[in-house]
Amino acid sequence: MEFLFLCLMLIPFVWICFLGLSFFIRFNLSEFFLSEGSKWISVIMSALSLSLSVLVIMNRSQPLHFDYPSWIQVGDYEFKSRFIVDLLGSTYALLTSLLIGIIFRFSRNYLHKEEGYFRFIFLLSTLMLGLMIVSFARSLDLIFVGWELVGTTSVLLIGYFYRQVQPVRHSIKAVISYRFCDMGILAAGAWAHHYMHTTDFTVLHELLSDPHLHESGHGGSIALTFIGVFVIWGALAKSGQLPFSSWLPAAMEGPTPSSAIFYGALSVHLGPFLLLRFYDYFHHFPILLWIIGIIGATTAIYASAVGRTRSDAKTMLAYATISQVGVIWVEIALGFTQFALFHLLAHASMRTWQFLRSASLIQDFVENPVVLQHQKVQRSTSFEKYVPKALRKRIFIHALHGFHLDYINLKIINFLSWPLRSYFEFEKKWLGLNNTIVKFIFKKR
Amino acid sequence: MTTSRDIPNFKVSHAWQNTIFSLLAMLGLFFLTSFFMNNGVSSSIVSNSFFEFSFDKFSLFLASIFCVSLFIGLYPVREDNDVTKAFLFYILGGLGIILSNNLLTFFVFWSFQRSLPAFRFIRGIRNDSTSGGGTYLIQHFITFICLIALVALASFNGFASVSFSQIPADFFTWPVLILAFIIIYESHGIFPFHSWIHDMVGNLNWYKISSIFLARAGVLLFVKFLLPTIDQHPDFFKITLLSLSIFSSVYWSIRGIFETNVAKTTTYFYVAQSSLILTGLLSDMTATRGAYLQIMVISLSGTSLWSLMSYVQRHTSIKRLNQFYGLAQSYPKLATLFCLFGFSMIGTPLGAAFVVEDLVINGLLDQHPFLGLGHILATCLNGILFFLVFSKLFLGHTSYPQKIKDLDMSLSQMIPYVLVLFLMFVIGIMPSLFLENIKW
Repeated sequence: MEFLFLCLMLIPFVWICFLGLSFFIRFNLSEFFLSEGSKWISVIMSALSLSLSVLVIMNRSQPLHFDYPSWIQVGDYEFKSRFIVDLLGSTYALLTSLLIGIIFRFSRNYLHKEEGYFRFIFLLSTLMLGLMIVSFARSLDLIFVGWELVGTTSVLLIGYFYRQVQPVRHSIKAVISYRFCDMGILAAGAWAHHYMHTTDFTVLHELLSDPHLHESGHGGSIALTFIGVFVIWGALAKSGQLPFSSWLPAAMEGPTPSSAIFYGALSVHLGPFLLLRFYDYFHHFPILLWIIGIIGATTAIYASAVGRTRSDAKTMLAYATISQVGVIWVEIALGFTQFALFHLLAHASMRTWQFLRSASLIQDFVENPVVLQHQKVQRSTSFEKYVPKALRKRIFIHALHGFHLDYINLKIINFLSWPLRSYFEFEKKWLGLNNTIVKFIFKKR
Repeated sequence: MTTSRDIPNFKVSHAWQNTIFSLLAMLGLFFLTSFFMNNGVSSSIVSNSFFEFSFDKFSLFLASIFCVSLFIGLYPVREDNDVTKAFLFYILGGLGIILSNNLLTFFVFWSFQRSLPAFRFIRGIRNDSTSGGGTYLIQHFITFICLIALVALASFNGFASVSFSQIPADFFTWPVLILAFIIIYESHGIFPFHSWIHDMVGNLNWYKISSIFLARAGVLLFVKFLLPTIDQHPDFFKITLLSLSIFSSVYWSIRGIFETNVAKTTTYFYVAQSSLILTGLLSDMTATRGAYLQIMVISLSGTSLWSLMSYVQRHTSIKRLNQFYGLAQSYPKLATLFCLFGFSMIGTPLGAAFVVEDLVINGLLDQHPFLGLGHILATCLNGILFFLVFSKLFLGHTSYPQKIKDLDMSLSQMIPYVLVLFLMFVIGIMPSLFLENIKW
């Protein structure tokens, strides 16, 4: 089983090294080679992850632990390369391999003769590596490695059509949200190191179950609660939860296959995946489950309302995805972890299909009479029945403006950076004064 | 409008420039060989009654990085008429600071090196009333006075010409600590003594670029003068230094985000990253190793980034980042290099800076959990700042010519950068190769 696991980690790594090297030595790989290569990579990866999942199930879902030499070691500090192969990880890895395989196949036609095809394959392969690391990581440190790789590839793919300004603007927006929330994962890892002396979440769960935890020199309950808060904070941006929801619909500027895989399927579900990984930890702190539930529910309502006011297919799908992910958060908060995992898998698969079909939606409506036949006459909903018209109108107007989320975020940023911006103004005057003094001293007489 | 004819080639017409680059290459090779031949314990000291130079492993490491980074950093401006004989004095001053082993030697070389840009500024101010440089001159004059005071105090106690390592802890009284703090932080461009950096980065002449290398002098003085006895200094002093260094990184990042001048934004990103060196050095042994690695990352990766930027700026008229320039269409390979160097600096996994971040953050949080959060904020802002610079310069719609192959770097021009990049990723993937070699 360890061999299968190693293959799953090494194959995408070797593939991206090969692609990177070929770029720098100016060895132009043909589109045929790239599509065939990626096809076979995804077939092998799918077979390997399927085998691994079957073996985990045959092992009565008992997790297997693989420990390798430390990646970074300085004195007492070690960045341990520890992995876990359990049902959650192997299921996510299987989902990753299958969906990325579908995307590789789809993009073969969709991005045929596209200038950036090489870039697309390279970034998608890096995403595969990042997701494999996240799926099997046993510590927060390692999760962060995969998490960052996913974030970086995501941002670069939003700006795939880099000659247009709008995709680039949206990739900047995504970077700001990602970096801000990555701080959460970094902080969680570092605080776990400091207060619990480990970031291995299997050990963290065991330690929390120890009634003598506080006597053994570990942090107090506030510090431990904050580790959980940081993890939740880290999960916010990737899954587009409030207040980081507005970047996700904007991220639809990338090519449709990448929108499908990132914002319909894999990247957007990393948040719930992380929460599921840490569920045993959250279980010790009910307040954390409350926070998860409230964020999820609020986001679900927000995204559902805003999504209904949008007119283009991809944006509607983006808000629908955010809304569903919010529901998954609520399920996790309520303790329905297995149901949440099932919901995650089903939702990721369905959204991938919907996103891939979105490009030909107009054609479907125009050319396919079956689609038109199934158009139902909209009946009035209970929302329309019981909510007064004036209030509905007001909600509609606010939803149309996305509940002013971007405006509020901008105001907060402006407020927080106000002291420094004022100082910048003062500094400008200070520099001018210095120049005046020096010019007075050294001027030609 | 740039054409393929304007692109500089490797041929350098001036004899002085040839000499300088050959000298840098030879010195770099010499120090690198000495570094690997040194077993890490011994350090040969060359001294007379006043001056003292040490060839220990740390000094050799820094000297080799100094030469290599200067070579890379000045590569795009090698045809600049400013690269004159004076530059030899600058190299001499830099190496003198790096190899100095007592306060007197440090003082002489520091003053010598800092006076070169000062003379340029004074000349500029006398000839052109709009020329800047006032803050540089005032701040460096104050630091010079502080340095004289420190040397005087050391001389009074009989330590001015004594090796740094032999200065006892009881010499570090509050006046000494305050003077050292001003000199180190001013030299390193750290808040609140940072304003001179603004003066240095308006254009890209060599003496202005060199300000960035000059900043390393602060780190050197810290490592040699304060670090051996740091455990015995008051906690208040250490926490103040640490807080200022973290705040400085946040400050430079935010300053960069709000800045529109291309050269300034890149420099702020660079200085924000280098502020983290002192953060690491002030934390614990784990973070200190990270800081040493950061010196290397900053010197090589950061300088390459700066160098690529100056290459772009010399061939375009871009001065302000108030729009998207889409240069990736004209410089696809250069854009890729810029992007990879940036990612290798902001702590993206598999790059060397990831190892730095990991070591510094964990080392710092072990000592000060709340200050560590400030450092994490600085890291996050640095990443945003880099992506802003990259996207504004290289992405978006272009108004520049579409002769892609004519404008981009040739394979031979890419060689030094690709080698550095390869090194950064090798260190990122197998950090033990490097970390085991920086014990001293």
